[in-house]
Amino acid sequence: MKASKSSMWSSAAGCILAAAISALGVSPSMATDTNALNSLQLHGFLSQAYIVTDHNNFYGSSSDGNGSWDYTELGFNASLRPTKNLLIAAQALSRRAGKDDDGSPTLDYGIIDWQMLSTADQTFGIQLGRFKNPLGFYNQTRDVAFTRPSILLPQSIYFDRTRSVAMSGDGVSLYHEARLDNGGLLHSQFGVGRSQAGDDAESSLGLDGLPGSLEGDLSVIGQVRYEHDGGRIVLAVSAASVHEKYESPGDFPGDGEFTFQPLVLSAQYNAERWSLTGEYALRRVETSGFNAFDDISQTGESWYVQYTRRFLDDWQWLVRYDTLVHNRNDPNGHKYEAAGLGPAYSQYADDLTFGVQWTPHPNVMLSGEYHHVDGTGWLSLQDNPDASQTEQIWNMWLMQLSLRF
Amino acid sequence: MAWQSSLLAQMWKQYTSGLSERGGPNLLRRAALQGLFVAGLAYLATCLGSTPAVAQVNSRQDILVIAHPGVTSRRLDRDTLRALFAMRQRTWPDGNAAQVFVLPNDSPTHAAFAKEWLSVYPHQLQLAWDRMVFSGTGQAPHRVRTQRQMVAAVSSTPGAIGYINREYLDESVQVINVE
Repeated sequence: MKASKSSMWSSAAGCILAAAISALGVSPSMATDTNALNSLQLHGFLSQAYIVTDHNNFYGSSSDGNGSWDYTELGFNASLRPTKNLLIAAQALSRRAGKDDDGSPTLDYGIIDWQMLSTADQTFGIQLGRFKNPLGFYNQTRDVAFTRPSILLPQSIYFDRTRSVAMSGDGVSLYHEARLDNGGLLHSQFGVGRSQAGDDAESSLGLDGLPGSLEGDLSVIGQVRYEHDGGRIVLAVSAASVHEKYESPGDFPGDGEFTFQPLVLSAQYNAERWSLTGEYALRRVETSGFNAFDDISQTGESWYVQYTRRFLDDWQWLVRYDTLVHNRNDPNGHKYEAAGLGPAYSQYADDLTFGVQWTPHPNVMLSGEYHHVDGTGWLSLQDNPDASQTEQIWNMWLMQLSLRF
Repeated sequence: MAWQSSLLAQMWKQYTSGLSERGGPNLLRRAALQGLFVAGLAYLATCLGSTPAVAQVNSRQDILVIAHPGVTSRRLDRDTLRALFAMRQRTWPDGNAAQVFVLPNDSPTHAAFAKEWLSVYPHQLQLAWDRMVFSGTGQAPHRVRTQRQMVAAVSSTPGAIGYINREYLDESVQVINVE
């Protein structure tokens, strides 16, 4: 189902990319032929986690006493600079994450990036194709363990229920980078494109198992990031308005629309040995038009504070407090429970995390972490189909081996 | 470390005792607990954040920025140098494509170059490269293992830029003035 929805766009993007690469590769008149091939870079990553929970399932049957191995990330990318101003890059991703993701390969991104202006003070460029959405600090590389401070990103903002929706867009993205007089860097990006629609969004909306399907629609995303003093202080504002359409073959549940509008404020302080990071997000979710249910409009709130400390050259530990509520008007979920919709604790989650990372070789990383969670607000609905079987307070232990080249 | 661990233990106790009372509509207490916890974290951050001074193996004068002899830009400002090594800027000021060469992350020369010349830490550079490489927004720099390889690579690659300790300098590369 998921494959059929995204395949049209992945094949379209793939064709554009293949055509561009072959055009650049076979044209004998291009003086930059050898440079183009010399510029080819191949990179990849692989990570495998082992997850144990005392209650509730996270990425597979983690609570059955044997733990779960159902969290695997495998990626492979190629990039090419056919001319000095052009960059062509694509990445294939296979991700297994419990019942949310079955590992079928997808085109993670595939872009042609034309940097049309590059001076001492500023850079301006345009990206065509499937681009990763710059939402918060981590969304663009959320599946690459080496770019994450912990095995799991703070789930309040980077949870899987809206993963496909927030992931990427098929369209056009413009970026501008200005180097300011005070030595700061101002990076702006604005993209318009068709969003992805995956089973995770359908499931979150309670549409899985119904006859219709969710299709990506025209969406916009923007981010402004300021880096002070070589990145000692980084501040960012990201906002998106993601639209999806539900097409129903009959009157039930009827055609409808789904809108996801996140606003994320991000701040980070980097010292030589430690970093302090915080992000705050408002997530507005709306559904409208369905015959089968009333229109829904609610705003969720998420934030986390995270301290990471590097020690002994190749070690890092982390402590993080991460919290989410699905509806600011019902932060403890009492109204939700009173309405008979499910347990109150499914409407929030407070997660206290301790983690450690060891990088014995630049291309090898071992990590472990512990989560103490109150609430099931970001628990996968597909791994925990029966809310009455979930527990409010639960613990999770994870270990992960990550490789890259 | 003893007082720090006892502080942590105290915070943990506060935190978990708060959870058990969470059944009731005790919003204020929840907010207070969260606030206390975050304040505690921030306090720990400042305590543990102070690092002992490390003896500098390389000072800024010992490290030179070098380029392929064909490069016509003889000088660079610090921001452009940083943009080139962060892989954000893909061309020299003269418009030609730049080829960036770096030493391994654990090389003292690399660490000193990043800190003294670019005012960034090696871990920040690595993260910036990873984010570009795995989001399709840029490429990784070329890696060389030793300073001899650095000189050989920079002297034989048009548009190349790199850095070495002064003692490795020879006439096959040109030195770039950084303002």
